[in-house]
Amino acid sequence: MSDSVKALYEERLKRYQAAIALAPTDRIPIAPGSNYFAEVYSGFNHQEYMYDASKWIEADRKFIEDFPETDVLRTTRVWGPIQDILGFNTYKLPGRDLPPNVQFQFIEGERMKPEEYDILIRNPAEFIFEYYLPRVFDVLKDRTSARSYVAFLKAGMAQMYWNNMLKARAEFLQNEMGMPMATMGLVLSPFDALADGLRGLRGIMIDVHRRPEKIQEACEALVPELVNSVLGAADPLRRYPIFMPLHRGCYPFLSPKQFEELYWPPLKKVVQMLIDAGYTVRAYLEGNWGPNWHHWRELPKGKVLLDIDGPGDIVKAKEDLGGYQCIAGGLTDSDLTVGTPEHVREKVKFLCETVGKDGGYIISGGCNIPYDTKPENYRAMIDAIMEYGRYGDKTEYEVQINPNPPEGWQPPKGHVLTPWEVKKEEIGEIMGDEDLIKAAWEMFERMAFNWTFGWIL
Amino acid sequence: MEDKKKLFEERLKRYQGAIALAPVDRVPIAAGANYFAETYSGLTKQQFVYDSSKWMEADKKFVEDFPEVDALRSGRIWGPLHDIVGYNMYKLPGRDLPPDVQFQFIEGERMKADEYDLLISNPGQFLLERVLPRVFNELKEPGSMRAHVAFLKAGMAQMYLAGAMKQRALHLQNELGMPQPMVGVMLAPFDMLADGLRGLKGIMTDIHRRPDKVLEACDAIIPDMVNAALATADPLRRYPIFMPLHRGCHPFLSPKQFDTFYWPSLKKAMLMLIDAGYTIRAFLEGDWSPNWHHMRELPKGKVLCDIDGPGDIFKAKADFGDCQCIAGGLSDSLLILGTPDEIRERVRKLCEVVGRDGGFIMNGGCCIPYDAKPENYRAMIDATLEYGRYSDRTDFEIQCDPNPPAGWKPPKAGVITPWEVKKAELGHIYGDEELIKGPWEMFERMAYNWLWAWTW
Amino acid sequence: MAELTALAKALVELDEEQVMELVKQKLDAGEPAMNIIKECNEGMAGIGKRFEDGVYFLSELIFSAEILQNVMAELEPHLKESDQKAESRGIVVLGTVKGDIHDIGKNIVATLLTGAGFEVVDLGVDVPTEAFVEKVKETGAKVLGMSALLSFTYPEMKTVIDALKDAGIRDKVTVIIGGAPCNEQVREFVGADYYAIDAVTGVNISKQVYG
Repeated sequence: MSDSVKALYEERLKRYQAAIALAPTDRIPIAPGSNYFAEVYSGFNHQEYMYDASKWIEADRKFIEDFPETDVLRTTRVWGPIQDILGFNTYKLPGRDLPPNVQFQFIEGERMKPEEYDILIRNPAEFIFEYYLPRVFDVLKDRTSARSYVAFLKAGMAQMYWNNMLKARAEFLQNEMGMPMATMGLVLSPFDALADGLRGLRGIMIDVHRRPEKIQEACEALVPELVNSVLGAADPLRRYPIFMPLHRGCYPFLSPKQFEELYWPPLKKVVQMLIDAGYTVRAYLEGNWGPNWHHWRELPKGKVLLDIDGPGDIVKAKEDLGGYQCIAGGLTDSDLTVGTPEHVREKVKFLCETVGKDGGYIISGGCNIPYDTKPENYRAMIDAIMEYGRYGDKTEYEVQINPNPPEGWQPPKGHVLTPWEVKKEEIGEIMGDEDLIKAAWEMFERMAFNWTFGWIL
Repeated sequence: MEDKKKLFEERLKRYQGAIALAPVDRVPIAAGANYFAETYSGLTKQQFVYDSSKWMEADKKFVEDFPEVDALRSGRIWGPLHDIVGYNMYKLPGRDLPPDVQFQFIEGERMKADEYDLLISNPGQFLLERVLPRVFNELKEPGSMRAHVAFLKAGMAQMYLAGAMKQRALHLQNELGMPQPMVGVMLAPFDMLADGLRGLKGIMTDIHRRPDKVLEACDAIIPDMVNAALATADPLRRYPIFMPLHRGCHPFLSPKQFDTFYWPSLKKAMLMLIDAGYTIRAFLEGDWSPNWHHMRELPKGKVLCDIDGPGDIFKAKADFGDCQCIAGGLSDSLLILGTPDEIRERVRKLCEVVGRDGGFIMNGGCCIPYDAKPENYRAMIDATLEYGRYSDRTDFEIQCDPNPPAGWKPPKAGVITPWEVKKAELGHIYGDEELIKGPWEMFERMAYNWLWAWTW
Repeated sequence: MAELTALAKALVELDEEQVMELVKQKLDAGEPAMNIIKECNEGMAGIGKRFEDGVYFLSELIFSAEILQNVMAELEPHLKESDQKAESRGIVVLGTVKGDIHDIGKNIVATLLTGAGFEVVDLGVDVPTEAFVEKVKETGAKVLGMSALLSFTYPEMKTVIDALKDAGIRDKVTVIIGGAPCNEQVREFVGADYYAIDAVTGVNISKQVYG
């Protein structure tokens, strides 16, 4: 990495980290989390982006060359080939089930039956393996077939292959383009994991009335598993926040009382555990979180970056959360896709003067920059930030890089499918160094378990 | 880095030159299986088999102390992967054996006598449905999630191992200037059947009771074995593909049985690798003297043959040394129990007779044993430098080619679920089919090739 | 609003057991299924009112739909052919536009509309332009509701409205759009008559249109 690229990387990272920490920065960071626009800006269609990992680096380069003022870029989440391998049936993918230029879509559904709460609560691992995966992986329809075994073998290979691609991309972004990541690692709130992935919206809304205490118990059981699974995917150097897209905490899905009883306690626990492990969190408050976002004041200051969605009032968010947590957002999907550069410019000026006044603010769309953003609108957003979003000449902030968790930190105790004790029993007497055998066994058990959890997100 | 590059090229040129029967500056010192190097740095056998993070350290120490060595290989067995699938065909040091005892193959029958037709009609399916459940303890409960997770973890661990091996190879090349003696592996089709599937007793019965089935089976598995070997071979074609040959030795088979059962399919498979632009390093384990003249039927200078202790290397030189390069000459017992003086004398004689016109590589009998005495290994090197010199430099153009020869076509790839089947299930494809088909076939092949690593 | 019946009240209170018990009693007493449905619809309207007042949230709307579904299953064997075509307040055509497969919001709207006495023609998700136009023509519906969750659908909604113009029926139908990425700016862009911020707003607009 050349010195100038390194300096650029540090300057951007410093600006991003400082804003999150509510420390002074030289200007408002331009740091959207989900930058869909960047994915397709270089001219690739959605299918190419989702299927051909070799295209990413090219797309990133083109985007950064044209918009070098952007401070972070994120990595992708969905990769078609691994979904094909397993016959994962909860998404429609561009080019496969949808025209190649339509964005991927989640298919709502009930993937856990109400009577299965107790199984999930007793052993989330067993539930995911025995009940959930067979419903979402078509290859498990015939479980004893050669094909279903091979699908898992291929999935293990493909997952590692993909990890290598993601790693190469992150290194390219850092070493060639001086670009930090917006987030690394993804975890849901326990309630959303239950609502989106397992019970489905209809199911969970009925449960809210019929069996609220089961929801509470299930969320509680999911907490350590979700935390462990994301720690396996988060930035080992703790530079970047962990991503949490939060769905069902918005108004009017749940009443404030339901939010306080069912949604918030397990979510707060997860976020606190991630902060305890030395991380920051970037939470998307999807939809309108106005009635509920004051709860974020309960978490340590400057540790959670909150993206305010289009339906939320960002000026009100600043009033409610300013001085506690950094917020991002301000431009709606429609501003960016159907608005004009003049309109964007005016709006950004307004945002800088109000929401951005004392720092703790990052410019972005409402939880994303949409695919169909007009390039001239994105450009107008940047130019307006350069003009109205400046605080000083440089950012005085010590970049946070730490490969180690805080002292005394212990990972939560979670499940695996086959604990070492079981395997050990089967091996019988171990003639040499048990730890050497155990360490590798546990490493791959953990990897496999984390992988499994990735499919309910 | 620059001098490491030079050193790497010098060593590789010497090794490749000798295999090609071209003139080289001296007899290369290039063991294929150098067990001695694995534990020389003080690692237990268990550490070497389980802890991939220790490999580079071990290589560094060995190469520092024996810089005259021309090639060093990667280990073959990685314990964690065995544990993940519950592979029951080996006893491993530190697990089933004391940590300093070497790993051992367990003989047995993993394919029944009446299963030949299944193997012949669909080898991949057969491996998955019949053989793997017998050799993977983790498959005890068919269809269980535990069985599936074992495959998932195996896929992850295989890629993890590939990453560690790649790092090791880069370390050897860039930091130590060291080529590898071979990359990728293939068995003789008959050995695959004999060692991995039917077991020794089974195969010996079969060649009497159902000789046609044995022949058909050997033929049926050639394409899959060749594809699996090519998938693990050096993409730049610099290093030979490894073929440990077991049951072709005297007196397992009579020369007539060798000619009938062992050789035709082996020759076919070897030619396919050579056609793809590779050389081969064949370990002729045991005494191959009644049979090794067959190596003359293969293209000259393409197959490096390791002569085992029981074989007479002087006779090997006389029988086919003008046609293929040979390696060996020092028996296990000499390296373990002999004295430096005895080694020196033996090396001198080898250089004078076997090494006379080139086409010879100094080595033990198919391996340098774990317990070779360091002073004996040193004596072997010193004596080779003294008696094995031909000239001042090697004039040989290094062979390094990412592409197969023009017009070459790989054998038909085996898969479990062909793209056509998957495509029919997907129904209408809205976008670019090739984008979906490409990765599907890539991972199908990777998985399919992987299956073939588990029967020996 | 007149005093609610016991059944409608139980439904508004989401008292599932009570609702089912009352339905059973009424059926046993020989009360016509259509009358029971009418009472339930009054209850659903009450639920919509509570939502509007910020007392109820989506979880209550969805749960009430679940209860209603159970009631309908109970009534099914007692419904006569003629009952199906009961007098409705008016026809509303609904659908999620082409390319988008999300239907949570649209389904809630459909439930509330039905509860309010409208006949709902639900075209489902990923609905092509022509299907919207044809269905509006065929039914003579005065209200068309288009739903979307993804922002790439803005041009799709515009296309539907343009097609209504081309078919010469734009002035005969009131177009309402709704869904997370919609707002006034989007309404203007696509040329719709109304943007409904939530399901109840959509129902109220429909009531206005049909008077």
